[in-house]
Amino acid sequence: MSITRSFLDTPFVRRSNRLRTFITAAWLGWQIESNWADPFLFAIYSIVRPVTSVLILVVMYSVITNGALQEPIFAYIYLGNALYILVGQVITGVSWSVIDDREHYRTLRQLYTTPMDGYFYLMGRGVARLIIGLISVLITIGFGIIAFQLPISIGAINWPMLLASTILGVLSLAAIGMVVGSLTLMLARHFWSLGDAISGALYLFTGAIFPLDVLPAWLRPIGFAFPVTYWLELARRAILGPNAAKFPTLSGFSDLELTGILAAITLMLLVFSWFFYRWALHRAKENGIFDMETSY
Amino acid sequence: MDTNLAIETNDLGRVYRLRGPKRKGDAKQLVALDGVNLEIRRGELFGLLGPNGAGKTTVIKILATLLLPSSGVGRVEGLDVTRDVQEIRRRISMVSGGETSGYGLLTVEENLWMFARFYGLDNVTARKRIDALLEVVGIADRKRTKISDLSTGLRQKMNFVRGFISDPNVVFLDEPTLGLDVTAARDVRGFVKQWMHDHPDRTVLLTTHYMAEADELCDRLAIIDRGKLLACDTPENLKHRLQREAIFNLKVGPLGPKPSRDAMIEAVPGVRQATIVEQNGHTELNLILAQEDVLSNVLAHLTRRGSSLISLEKREPTLEDVFVDLVGRRLDVDTSHHAEGEHAAG
Amino acid sequence: MLPAERVQKATGLRLFWYTIWARAYPRIIGSTREKSWLFFETVLPLMGTASYVFVYRAIGAPEAYTGFVVLGGAMTAFWLNVLWAMASQLYWDKDGGNLELYVVSPGPLMAILLGMAVGGILMTATRAVIILGVCSFLFNVSYQIASLPLLVLIFVVTMAALYGMGMMFASIFLAAGREAWHISNLLQEPIYLASGFYFPVKAMGFWIATFASVIPLTLGLDAMRQLIFAGDPTLGFLSVEVELIILLVLSVVFIYGAIKMLAKLEEIGRREGRLIERRR
Repeated sequence: MSITRSFLDTPFVRRSNRLRTFITAAWLGWQIESNWADPFLFAIYSIVRPVTSVLILVVMYSVITNGALQEPIFAYIYLGNALYILVGQVITGVSWSVIDDREHYRTLRQLYTTPMDGYFYLMGRGVARLIIGLISVLITIGFGIIAFQLPISIGAINWPMLLASTILGVLSLAAIGMVVGSLTLMLARHFWSLGDAISGALYLFTGAIFPLDVLPAWLRPIGFAFPVTYWLELARRAILGPNAAKFPTLSGFSDLELTGILAAITLMLLVFSWFFYRWALHRAKENGIFDMETSY
Repeated sequence: MDTNLAIETNDLGRVYRLRGPKRKGDAKQLVALDGVNLEIRRGELFGLLGPNGAGKTTVIKILATLLLPSSGVGRVEGLDVTRDVQEIRRRISMVSGGETSGYGLLTVEENLWMFARFYGLDNVTARKRIDALLEVVGIADRKRTKISDLSTGLRQKMNFVRGFISDPNVVFLDEPTLGLDVTAARDVRGFVKQWMHDHPDRTVLLTTHYMAEADELCDRLAIIDRGKLLACDTPENLKHRLQREAIFNLKVGPLGPKPSRDAMIEAVPGVRQATIVEQNGHTELNLILAQEDVLSNVLAHLTRRGSSLISLEKREPTLEDVFVDLVGRRLDVDTSHHAEGEHAAG
Repeated sequence: MLPAERVQKATGLRLFWYTIWARAYPRIIGSTREKSWLFFETVLPLMGTASYVFVYRAIGAPEAYTGFVVLGGAMTAFWLNVLWAMASQLYWDKDGGNLELYVVSPGPLMAILLGMAVGGILMTATRAVIILGVCSFLFNVSYQIASLPLLVLIFVVTMAALYGMGMMFASIFLAAGREAWHISNLLQEPIYLASGFYFPVKAMGFWIATFASVIPLTLGLDAMRQLIFAGDPTLGFLSVEVELIILLVLSVVFIYGAIKMLAKLEEIGRREGRLIERRR
């Protein structure tokens, strides 16, 4: 709380309603989502789920290749899956709070009658899961290095490129999360998290666990439209170095070109999510479903 | 065992273990009920009156088989609330104020049908009773409205229908008019009275912290505070206890700061109870005096204090006065010491 | 005016039956009234399953594996239904104020849980059938069914054991709060892994496969794969007959366990006040 308060007390933040909303929502999300004093929750979200999801792929790979873990495709799959943890975490983090606030805490109507900015509120609520996701990514990669000798050397990582592409990647995911959250404003609560369902589906198009060339040619353009595809490629190049270039999908593009494409798509998504959120909120209020209870 | 008793409790007690933010060994406890003895006859509309946190809801939850007592015995129609759970459930129903039960995507009729089936009603009977009860509470035109589209008042009326649809022998009404507007609350009270009139062998246990509601509805009522039963009688007899005392409402000029002002009034010989409220630049005193002539002493004290009398009214005792007389404070003072809000101990 | 005569109320098995369908009703009606699930429950999981097919293609796996993944992907629907629409649903029902009314009513909790499962079957079956049908078509999966009656029997027994286990989970969740949510999260992926949803469970090695056999889907899936892709040597952790017997034992144990645990956990809930608390 004290860190949050000192942030909130800085003159710049005090003047900006959006920044204030963002920081307060991030603090709230942290209180709700993460309880580091509870080793059980830490184990579930940061170790068990991510590690077992990557182990599914490891087993699939080993069954077919008789454990040829030194092949470049293994590092490709492993790393893609590890980084992909952020996709589910960020999209769900930003979008799930609509359901949680509406049907669990039942604070949605109170929140939206304060002067806060809903867009920045949802973005802020996603921060906690982003942090949890980042920790999971690090644990999963660390596990890969130790257990499967992934060819990663800390000293050889291109940190500026990794950092820049991850920031852009996370921003684009947050924008997708906003679109999903906006949709959620107009939908009933089903039994699962929409963010998780969407991130599971995007597995197919983003080259996370297999190179896009494997997809039929007519499906590939969908992958090229998603920012995650470029982020994963850039992050792999930054972490694996020349090994990442063994897969031809995006090998024709330089690092700078890929970063440019990622930045452009991210910007477009952010702009789109901004307007889409406002439209969805308007529609939800217009139809009187903004604070509906939809359990069944 | 008296077969004419619908509800009976002997030394009923309930202790909650409070869970703090950190799970330390020295868990705190909250005594929600402490040796409560009740005898409610068949056909009675019995009220439990007390402030928030008094233990009213805990009594209901124990009798409705949702909570086990920590000590003592509770019986519904002679059946033990700890052992004869299934048999009790066939005979009772429960409606709580501010209830949000049901599924938002279903209509009023569909939600009611679902609960009717849980009680074993066949299709035809369920539909007949739904129609009849919706008509009685005046929401027949909302039969096909999704419940997420109902106002608070209409939703509570639907909850009432749910409570009575299974033709229960004993109905527990826990603050049933909580949050309702005047008209809706009146309709709900009217329905309960009518139902009791039409079904003289049934029993209602009602909890409320609205004095007027308890006064209007209940054949007998018990006053409960901090888990203890303080009195139990008909509203008339309870008020009659204060018949020998004199009750006055005084409006006077400002009386100064709270502690000294309260002590000053209570120190006047013959003042049994005093509640004092500052309002718009004047002070309202509600006094229960041992006898009428004590009033002159009070007025003399006020004059010495420099406060002028604005108005004076002598009135008949109300249940509020009974409560103040028994407990020493007004009913609207929240005594819930259950700060974490985990349980509805009210 | 209400009729003065007493209402006749069903008890025993008839009440059990009424309760199942009464609780299933909101699920069935809800899913026809709010159709957004159709997209999210079919297209999205379809894409997820397809991803695993392409992983196998990327690493040059034999074509048979496409079929294994498709069947596993279809069966995820039942696992998710048990976890999210049944076991942890009591958490939402407690939250919404329905649980205490369920408990106060004479309708058995077990029937209410079964009602949730039956009501969710529309969604679940749609998801499973679409994944199976569309993926089989898209990826040209060919099936060689050894014995259809045995396949149906294995499926039914697997479901009985699975939903029995779901009810046992639900009884544990009855005493839990938001923790129920976390436990469901904990169980989702690890079971995909241990039960071999995307690869033959034999690949996990004897001991892991043995431990994973506690989850009915492990042996159910292996037996179904053996019957659907007859003769594939990578399949068959145990023989179909042995797996059927174990599944039968599991279903009896889980259903009996669920009955006992629901009663026990309800009592604990009443003692500790957990049935009436709402922790937000």
